[in-house]
Amino acid sequence: MNEELVRMEHISKFFGRVQALNDVTFTVRKNEIVGLLGDNGAGKSTLIKILSGALIADSGTIYMHGRPVSVRSTTDAIKLGIETIYQDSALVTQLSIARNLFLGREPTKGPRLLNRMDQQAMNEVAAGLLKKAGIQKDIPPTTPISSLSGGERQAVAIARAMHFDSELIILDEPTNNLGVEETQSVLRFVRNARDSGHSCIFIAHNIHHVFQVVDRIVVMRRGKKIADDIDPRQTTIEAVEQVIMGHLDSIPDAPPAQ
Amino acid sequence: MHSSSPFRRFFTGPAASPVGQFMQTFISRPEFGPFVLLILEIIVFTLRSGAFLSSTNISNLLAFTPELGMIALGMTMLMTSGEFDLSVGSVFGFAPVVMWTILNTGTASLEVGFFVAIAIAVVIGYVNGIFVTRLKIPSFLVTLGMLLVVRGTALYITDGFPQRTWSAEGSWIANLIVGEFTIGSIKIYASVIWFIAFVIVLAYMLTQTKFGNWILASGGNAQSAQARGVKVGRTKIILFIMTAVMSAFAGIVSSIRVSAANPNSGTGYELEVIAMVVIGGTALTGGRGTIIGTVLGVLILRFMRNGIVLIGVPGLAYNIFIGAIILGMMALHSWLERRHNAGV
Ligand SMILES: Nc1ncnc2c1ncn2[C@@H]1O[C@H](COP(=O)(O)OP(=O)(O)O)[C@@H](O)[C@H]1O
Ligand SMILES: [Mg+2]
Repeated sequence: MNEELVRMEHISKFFGRVQALNDVTFTVRKNEIVGLLGDNGAGKSTLIKILSGALIADSGTIYMHGRPVSVRSTTDAIKLGIETIYQDSALVTQLSIARNLFLGREPTKGPRLLNRMDQQAMNEVAAGLLKKAGIQKDIPPTTPISSLSGGERQAVAIARAMHFDSELIILDEPTNNLGVEETQSVLRFVRNARDSGHSCIFIAHNIHHVFQVVDRIVVMRRGKKIADDIDPRQTTIEAVEQVIMGHLDSIPDAPPAQ
Repeated sequence: MHSSSPFRRFFTGPAASPVGQFMQTFISRPEFGPFVLLILEIIVFTLRSGAFLSSTNISNLLAFTPELGMIALGMTMLMTSGEFDLSVGSVFGFAPVVMWTILNTGTASLEVGFFVAIAIAVVIGYVNGIFVTRLKIPSFLVTLGMLLVVRGTALYITDGFPQRTWSAEGSWIANLIVGEFTIGSIKIYASVIWFIAFVIVLAYMLTQTKFGNWILASGGNAQSAQARGVKVGRTKIILFIMTAVMSAFAGIVSSIRVSAANPNSGTGYELEVIAMVVIGGTALTGGRGTIIGTVLGVLILRFMRNGIVLIGVPGLAYNIFIGAIILGMMALHSWLERRHNAGV
């Protein structure tokens, strides 16, 4: 089994009197794709927002590679190699694909004083990445994000995460509002992410999608983690649904034949 | 006319030809609307009044245009980052008052006065920037407050009276920033050269540099830009400072040219400048900006003010035209934007 990449330990979070997370401990290993499942309001988004620096936990510790780290902002998380892809993908819609891919880390050329962006290099790298990201259409990297479809935007966000060698890519319901084709391309991308040495946390409403791509399933209910080690190859969608809805507390021991 | 002439291709050839493609890109650019309007304006004024293109009139236009124009250039950068500055007119009036007061009271030389005035502008821009980015107060309120503070200070230290400025003769700094020369029969001030230099530097900055990308991103989506490591606050503070400094410089240029530093000068410039910038195609909400567009916007409004008087429209009707131009241009830009987002 691979070594541990991230460990969130004893995480709790209140919103006023609502306890969104109750002593949750959650780990992701290297090269692992973890599916995070649970009904609406279970606390999935809250948990990953704490990991990506968008929220700060009331208590608990985050470890990376076994060492405690402080994630107090999204900038901290990105520096630690944690990239998050939201539904709205957090791109600057007025800027081109290439300018978005390199935003904040633009390559420069020539004398430092002139601060000149190497737009040619940016466009070349971007064109290659888009192909890898599964955008079949020939979209020039100078196209503004505002004229891309939802799936293409997700692909750009994922391509960015991969290019900058994020160790962990978090996808919170990335396939909502996407068409069938686009959803397939996001799923394909998640699978590729593992092959190229990244870890992923994948949250999706559609349990079939989760079953298609993940190595391990974690289930949350009402702010608590109730199952941690579900192997999608050893169980059925129906059994996992029972756990999510609270009819079962764990997957029955005798796995049904596949 | 031989077959590959641009004209023929433009009128008959397929849109995919190089020239057709060029036209296509050109038409979809935000600068296209203002460009056409400017050309129309020049044609109409030239046809209606022989005086419009006379060398005296061109000299006149070239004297005052760069002064407002420099403020507009600074404002373009600031607005692209999603902020704006209402205190520019007051800084335009205040900076020369500081410079001339320092000279006239015998405190120091004109040169020292110049650098003190610019340094004060840096502080004003910095304070604007800190209030907006750290205290998260909207730039409308911050710079409105600053407008009153700066204008009030100018009136207070001068008792409301203009400062004498006749002693600028021969100062190297006065020559450098407003020295005059002639090309043919057209008198040109050095401020035109300064304006052109600013246009080149700022257009380069906005479109070619990393800093320019940060300006666009800060105005487009500050939160995601920040998350990517863009220093949004610092970017905006730098632009507030730049805008204040350019306003101060413009005010000093103007005061030397007209030999007067009036504490009230620059009143109302903030709105005229913002109008110039948005007419040129820069978005009031940030994320989109064009220096070339602003140059066109500046020329459109200056030519309009000058031209309608020449063709005999009462000067008081000026605002009607300006208002109509703003509304028309906004409609055009929003239509282009929607067309663009639809992927055309
Ligand atoms: N910003 C917030 N303010 C108040 N309550 C919140 C906030 N975010 C989430 N919650 C509450 O926390 C709980 C968990 O929400 P969330 O993590 O979004 O669930 P999930 O993503 O699993 O659907 C819910 O009860 C939700 O109402
Ligand atoms: Mg959620």
